[in-house]
Amino acid sequence: MAIVEVKNLTYSYPAADKPALKGIHFQVEEGEFVSLVGANEAGKTSLCFALAGFVPHFFKGELRGEVWVAGKESSRTSLDDWLLNVGLVFQNPFNQISGSKFTVYEEVAFGLENLGIPRPEMKERVEGIMQKTGITELAQRSPYALSGGQQQRVALASILVMQPRLLVLDEPTSQLDPIGTRQVFEVIKSMSQEGITVVMAEHKLEWVAEFSDRVIALADGEMWMAGKPGDVLTSPLMTELGIGVSRYTAAGRRAVEIGLLPASQRLPVTHRQALAFFGAAPP
Amino acid sequence: MNTRLSFYVHRESPLHRLNPLTKLTLVGTLIVLAFASRGPELPLVLFLVVVLLSVAGQVLWEFLRVAVRLLLPVCGFIFVMQSLFIPIGETILLQWWIFSLRLEAIQHAALTVSRILVMVSSFILLILSTHPSTLMSDLTRRRLPGGFAYVITTSLQIIPQMRAKAQTIIDAQLSRGMETKGGLCQRVRGLLPLVRPLVFASLVDVEERAIAIEARAFNSKKEKTSLIEIEDPVYEKVVRWLMLFLLLGMIGNNLWRSLR
Repeated sequence: MAIVEVKNLTYSYPAADKPALKGIHFQVEEGEFVSLVGANEAGKTSLCFALAGFVPHFFKGELRGEVWVAGKESSRTSLDDWLLNVGLVFQNPFNQISGSKFTVYEEVAFGLENLGIPRPEMKERVEGIMQKTGITELAQRSPYALSGGQQQRVALASILVMQPRLLVLDEPTSQLDPIGTRQVFEVIKSMSQEGITVVMAEHKLEWVAEFSDRVIALADGEMWMAGKPGDVLTSPLMTELGIGVSRYTAAGRRAVEIGLLPASQRLPVTHRQALAFFGAAPP
Repeated sequence: MNTRLSFYVHRESPLHRLNPLTKLTLVGTLIVLAFASRGPELPLVLFLVVVLLSVAGQVLWEFLRVAVRLLLPVCGFIFVMQSLFIPIGETILLQWWIFSLRLEAIQHAALTVSRILVMVSSFILLILSTHPSTLMSDLTRRRLPGGFAYVITTSLQIIPQMRAKAQTIIDAQLSRGMETKGGLCQRVRGLLPLVRPLVFASLVDVEERAIAIEARAFNSKKEKTSLIEIEDPVYEKVVRWLMLFLLLGMIGNNLWRSLR
């Protein structure tokens, strides 16, 4: 059953001379992991904001079409109600710290305080999510005294503790080092395995291929491709759209071009797929 | 990055255990009493009370360190300026060139300084013995608007962050040849490449932070709860009411005297 339905969505920011999103149309099934890929200015962030209700409630502008999440339509639902079902995590971990709390534990509880959750339940949920996201040992640290990866996990925990049905992630690892990236992706993966629906905008195509059930490629505010990661991420259109391909896909394509491997083989995207792909090559 | 985000010093003391509103009321009472006094004697006694409270709160050393750094230059400056330049009284003690030191001006300066001593020192004691989260949680519970509490607590944390960001920008501009040394004009010119990116970056941060807290139901219509449990025993409520009556009595008395 579809939890997300985006119907012919076209959106322009106030005073913008062209739409950020043009005729976007797709569905996401409950529990599915969908990734959005695209070059800069492709519309990924705008689409994330639309899914999270910030378009049209926070950013005004002109909106046509509809966004439905969990049976509610965004323009007819208050942001408060909308955010009961949707959680948003974005790029800069530093700016997602509320700034009003002095320990990580308090920071994670911030959303629950705002929702009026009783203290015993609040503590139970905070401790549970901190364990799941691997930040229990940071509980008494200042949120500002953490590394980028740790801050992003705190940001994730702060949203997940509110138990959203849909988690929207806008390039959650773009400002993180490889270790921080891995830690954050591991949390996202485990949450996805627990059944949370995830829509993630991301540039790191290897990770996208690793986790996603489906990939949507955007360019210039339009949806160009949608399908299984192996099909979308190895398509020649990826380079034309300015998104590019993973280094493994590029190496595989070159191996096929020079006749090292037959063209019938599916090109790899991840390290694991590359090992299998090149393992099949003659010595 | 500086991670010390408040002046709070954790101790297991009776002062720390007091409800934040009781401490706030005490601070308010001390300040009003000091300002209602017509001579420096009462404010000085009240300052002594604050010092004794810092002993009870096991924060004497921290209190003295902050108080001396903050109060000594301010009070010294005000005392000298008021003593020399307030043209009141006729009892001239010393005269030199355009300066004349009058007894009445010294008494006035002593009163001003003693009032400042009480006001600032009592606030220092409050922030040393009260965790900002506890203070804000308690005030929010008492219907202080959430937005106001947020601005107060965020302000406490934003200064080190802004300082760190400014330092990053200074380093970046210095590496590109910005001049920060030299005459006043040179320094002012050097300030512009710092201020512009700092202001623009801060505006972007504000928008992102607004989205981040909105995503965490900050503007939810539901009644907020608090993670922190704050005790408020009956005797503290009684003490607060007594302080309030004392305040009203003091204000009424002063009004009566001034009307007569």
